[in-house]
Amino acid sequence: MNLRIRLANNRSFAGSIQRPHLPQLPSSFVSLVGDLRHVLSEDRVLEEPVELYLYSRDASLMQGQATCVVFPHTTEEVADVVRVAERHGIPIVARGAGTGLAAGAIPVDGGIVLSTTAMNQIDIDVANRTAWVGAGVINLDLSKEAEPFGLTFAPDPSSQSACTIGGNVANNSGGAHCLAEGATTSHVLGLEVVLAGGETLVVGGQAPDMPGLDLKGLMVGSEGTLGVVTRALVRLLPIEADVRTLLLDFEELEGATRTVSEVIASGLVPAALEIMDQKMTTAVENWLRAGLPCDCAAILLAEVVGEPEAVEAEAALISRIGRANGARDVKVARDEAERAILWKGRKSAFGAVAQVSPNYYLHDTVVPRSRLVETMEEVQAIADRYGLDVYNVFHAGDGNLHPLMAFDASDPVMMDKVHKAGEEMVAACLSRGGALSGEHGIGLEKRDMMRADFTELDLDAQARLKEAFDPDGIFNPAKVLPEGSRCFDFGGVRREIPDGAWV
Amino acid sequence: MLRLRRSEAGDTGRGLGMTGTAGGGPERVAPSSVEELAKVLKSATEEQRVVNVVGGGTRQGYGSPPPPDLVLETSGLAGIEEWDPDDLTVTVGAGTQVAELEAALAERSQTAVLPEVPGRSTVGGVVSAGVSSLRRARLLGTRERMLEVRLVTGDGRMIRGGGRVVKNVSGYDLPRLVVGAFGSLGVITSVCLKLWPIPPASATVTIDDIEASQHVTRPLAVLERRGVIEVFLWGTPEEVAASSGRLDGVAVEGLRWPPDPQGAYRWSVRVPPASTSAAVGRLPTGWDYLAVHGAGDIRAASADSDGADGLRDWVESSGGALVVMDAPDGELDGLDPWGSPPPGLEVQRRLISQFDPGRVINPGRLAGGL
Repeated sequence: MNLRIRLANNRSFAGSIQRPHLPQLPSSFVSLVGDLRHVLSEDRVLEEPVELYLYSRDASLMQGQATCVVFPHTTEEVADVVRVAERHGIPIVARGAGTGLAAGAIPVDGGIVLSTTAMNQIDIDVANRTAWVGAGVINLDLSKEAEPFGLTFAPDPSSQSACTIGGNVANNSGGAHCLAEGATTSHVLGLEVVLAGGETLVVGGQAPDMPGLDLKGLMVGSEGTLGVVTRALVRLLPIEADVRTLLLDFEELEGATRTVSEVIASGLVPAALEIMDQKMTTAVENWLRAGLPCDCAAILLAEVVGEPEAVEAEAALISRIGRANGARDVKVARDEAERAILWKGRKSAFGAVAQVSPNYYLHDTVVPRSRLVETMEEVQAIADRYGLDVYNVFHAGDGNLHPLMAFDASDPVMMDKVHKAGEEMVAACLSRGGALSGEHGIGLEKRDMMRADFTELDLDAQARLKEAFDPDGIFNPAKVLPEGSRCFDFGGVRREIPDGAWV
Repeated sequence: MLRLRRSEAGDTGRGLGMTGTAGGGPERVAPSSVEELAKVLKSATEEQRVVNVVGGGTRQGYGSPPPPDLVLETSGLAGIEEWDPDDLTVTVGAGTQVAELEAALAERSQTAVLPEVPGRSTVGGVVSAGVSSLRRARLLGTRERMLEVRLVTGDGRMIRGGGRVVKNVSGYDLPRLVVGAFGSLGVITSVCLKLWPIPPASATVTIDDIEASQHVTRPLAVLERRGVIEVFLWGTPEEVAASSGRLDGVAVEGLRWPPDPQGAYRWSVRVPPASTSAAVGRLPTGWDYLAVHGAGDIRAASADSDGADGLRDWVESSGGALVVMDAPDGELDGLDPWGSPPPGLEVQRRLISQFDPGRVINPGRLAGGL
């Protein structure tokens, strides 16, 4: 199969794809699909070019090349697929909803895309406040299922109405509410995984500190490179008695970030502290009409939860600190409907930019919170230097930035500028003691930047860790670690990225 | 039958610096730099010498490692390296005592949420043994504090994982993997921890019935010992007052943390949270205990090991583990320190061999004899 469709603008593919004439398939491919259909069924192995095209992308700007797509229903079927893949020496790329932004779910140079969407069982244990959840369950569906029991799943990425638990586990996803509650790893108690050789393990459990190395914790955030997660045992939190959501607007960005620091210094860790700059606020307001103020430098969305008396006092405290730092207005959502509108505004930020620009590219980096303002200034300076529009929305409490560059990818010069500016922005964060990624992962996108954060020995240790799980490099190759990370590399398959795989 | 003996290293004196001991005991080394530590481990691997690592010496009773040829003290790797209160992160040397760290942090109303009654425990020791705070049902365990780890592998490589920011997905999660790993991946030299602000008000409320604790949605801790049930609260004064009122118990200001029970035998009972009361009911007669409700974490102590077998059967069948934290010198007839071997022993073994290829640090101490 030689299908490399280079199409940067994902809005124009419909109807524009020519179905390539299927080339003579090598016999190994025929038997691969045949073997997969034998362990699954005819209709759960896709190989049509359009289908392969769709499953060769995720929400990043990169394009891979799928050999075929499979839809196992059970863990046993996943183990069968792994064994078939090993027999044919072909990689497996597990995929949830494909909402990842770091190209973690694209098959780089051929491979079986294993879609987890059919594994969507939810089994809630109310007494223990846990649930066993299939990898393909959609994040928001879990919280909806848990709500009648007064429970909720804390990690809430902006893509939560589409992204899957398996994807959350793979990327250790965060979201606005991980300020107080931690990212996905803090909410995963156990996992069912299929490892090399089709070995199936259940690791972790409802009891704390199960003896042995924490394999479950290691799988979280490993981006599908150590094995395939088929089910997760997650912690559910009781829905808090009461909630207050506040919107503060500032004439200076610094007033907003200083408010965040002072709130936390006061001993309060709110459920969420989110900032949007003027450009982003305007884009959201023009699209959603949520009543956001567009004439201020930044807005701060803050949320506190807890006992009714507590949230009242905490909301008053945030309001007071905000005003002392130059907040012009503090609006408190009066009911659930108003709260929902405010959150919709925040979570639709990326969508709003898609309304005004054909493409966008965002980075996900972290800096120590105390260095937010200077970092934002440098991000703006970098964008100005390249003549790019940059929109900002970020998890201020965590120091987690998402500078978003809007552009038209059909202009190759622009594409190049965006990549260069993006790399400079990441470097600016690293130089301030930051990290490469806060919640989106490394994937293919940032793997070569890993050298900027880690030493050769650090990366060698990571590569050894990968080797302990996946000696043949079957699981999601070419992701997370740069090529040649293993310092003393004897043998093993090295998979180069073909030029055409990049967009 | 597995022998369980107290490591000789735990009983001997400290602060001996670089000197070896006379009289046939293990050599003791207290490196004052990471580079020095790396040299020691590299040669230990070359010479195939068994190494034990000691911080405060409070957790030496876990597992059944062979007697060491070399005892590595982390006391030379102590102190706060970096602490910016605005960022809620702190980077500390592994040999730093938990009590000293928490006292320093408390001056700026912050906490690393490590064990409340730590004795001489060090940060590195608490992390390596995977010991958690009594506040874990609300603020989660020690693994959730970990942001960055620096360690020296068994063969002397100095490596780092994670980063000094509160949120990070850059490569495999080494910082959390070293929690409870008992040095099998290397000797921790420093960690960066996520901090939590200490709010202005707190209270300890004694209640009669565990059910009453349900009246507060998410208390800081609910602890039970010898029939006494206490609910720990913190927050704004308004929150603490409101929660305290709902509990209808006897409230005192402040957090009065109880110490772990002490005895010749010390046990860690780990069960699903909803089974905590049932597990307390199953403890053999005469066992002292401290149960962390909502977390399924029960610390127990006893004069002998009678009844431990039966308790372990029940605990394991309910999805938990009964772990021996400490036992007097001698044998624990037939009782494995960890219980049934955990799943994935083979992959754990391969993992360890990538970090400690000569398997010189605490060999056999982990569950499953790894």
